[in-house]
Amino acid sequence: MSVEKEKLYSKLSDAVVDMDEDSVAVLSDQVIKEDIDAYEAIDQGLAKGMERAGQLFEEEEYFVPELLMCSDAMNVGIDILKPHIRKEESSQKHKIVIGVIEGDTHDIGKNLVKLMLSSADFEVIDLGRDVPVNTFVNRAVEEQAKIIMISSLMTTTMDRMGDVVQLLKEKGIREQYKVAIGGGPVSLAFANKIGADGYSANATEAVRLAKQLVVKES
Amino acid sequence: MDVFSPKERLLRVLKNEAVERPPVICPGGMMNAAIVDIMNTTGHTLPAAHHSYDLMSELACDVHQNTGFENFGIPFCMTIEAEVLGSNINFGTLECEPKIDKEKYQSVLEVDFLPVSAIEKHSRVGAVVETIHKLSKQCPDIPAIGSLTGPLSTAASLVDPMIFLKQLRKERDGAHRVLDYVSQHLIAYARLMIEQGASVISIADPTATGEILGPKLFEEYAVPYLNQVIDEIHKLGVPVIVHICGEVGMVKTQLNMLRGNAISVDAFVNLKKMKEENDKLTTMGNLSTYLLEFGEAQKVYQSAKHLLQDKIDIIAPACGLSTSTPLINIKAFTQAITEGKDG
Repeated sequence: MSVEKEKLYSKLSDAVVDMDEDSVAVLSDQVIKEDIDAYEAIDQGLAKGMERAGQLFEEEEYFVPELLMCSDAMNVGIDILKPHIRKEESSQKHKIVIGVIEGDTHDIGKNLVKLMLSSADFEVIDLGRDVPVNTFVNRAVEEQAKIIMISSLMTTTMDRMGDVVQLLKEKGIREQYKVAIGGGPVSLAFANKIGADGYSANATEAVRLAKQLVVKES
Repeated sequence: MDVFSPKERLLRVLKNEAVERPPVICPGGMMNAAIVDIMNTTGHTLPAAHHSYDLMSELACDVHQNTGFENFGIPFCMTIEAEVLGSNINFGTLECEPKIDKEKYQSVLEVDFLPVSAIEKHSRVGAVVETIHKLSKQCPDIPAIGSLTGPLSTAASLVDPMIFLKQLRKERDGAHRVLDYVSQHLIAYARLMIEQGASVISIADPTATGEILGPKLFEEYAVPYLNQVIDEIHKLGVPVIVHICGEVGMVKTQLNMLRGNAISVDAFVNLKKMKEENDKLTTMGNLSTYLLEFGEAQKVYQSAKHLLQDKIDIIAPACGLSTSTPLINIKAFTQAITEGKDG
């Protein structure tokens, strides 16, 4: 890779970490003007920056507001670069269905997981918040997603995550899906108890978990 | 034998005065103990009881009598403040608590500032304060606790939280204006509760956590507005409990800036250690709500005894209870605290 290109990617990455939407826009325009590979610029510039932001989040340097602003900055760049990606480069992405379980409208955690997964090149189908048990299963089937991620921020709603696993079993399709859960009151012990395939404590861990589940799947 | 009435005991603890044993309470609001087991027996049920003064007072009474919690905890949800200020509420079901259907605003800059009188004109506020009035007259020895949703949580129920959290950095002036506005309404609401007989005000602010905000933003946005509300309540001679969700390690310094009379925390926070680090702190908590829901009654009983041994000042659930928590577990919990020492 040329030094120039490398420099530009690392500037893009820095601009995301610095939550600097304006710089991201200027740098992304430069990528296009200089006819640099848009996919590579997203992957090694923007996504790399988001990964670094995720690390800072894990290290408790960044918190939710900062992570959201980094994500906004990344999306400014993606919006500019995406139309310039050459077709053959956009590989088949793994699909994940994600949502907050019925009764619960706290979606900060889910949204963080979603944005980290998207920046790690998963295709995320967001069912939103207050999602009925049925919807998780039906949409996973429709979308041919292999992973279902469910979040709950309340002890009053966490039981229903087990109902999703149960419904998959009743339909005789449990083995076709990996179910991962997360959220404030949830723990690994609880994940095991309801028969889920995985648990993650935060958004960056969720990306590692999704990658593991995909490997197990294929 | 009990030396103090439940009200005297709770008020003494909140004044740092000696008591024969800690109170065991569940303040309502986020920590609502109106469980399905009780409602199905008495027929005073949610969601209807969120609206009607008669039902609300009956249910608050049922909860107190059945659980053994030594207080009345009102209301049973965290949505009244946001409803008054314009957000749509879904009132849920018997099992499922009310929630914000949709936040009214997409930016702190869009918020319409309603006059403070909006609070007293609202029918659900009316149900809450009439309930407090009735119960505090009917049972003067039992403290009626009025529960508020904290300033940040209320603001994040008015403005879409994903936008609101970013605006804490991007639109600082606008965010501060909304938090000040929300705080004025909370003060007005607390004043009505106190005028009608509330002995204690409890504030739960689940959006104001160290984990979400980090120490800097917690100090800039959570501490000053919580203190603003606390100070005004203190002027009316009433003590305040503040519940902070999540892990508190990274905001320890900031927690010590809060001027409430007791601090209540989540299950995984080591309250004993918190007390050792700051002996002036009045601690409240923190029996795991997970254990309460899924554990054996005997295990709940033992954990409650541990809280006693650790000399936690006020014993309470660690967080919001599940409505499917078995009554037998809650009874084991309160009994462990209220029974004689040899029990």
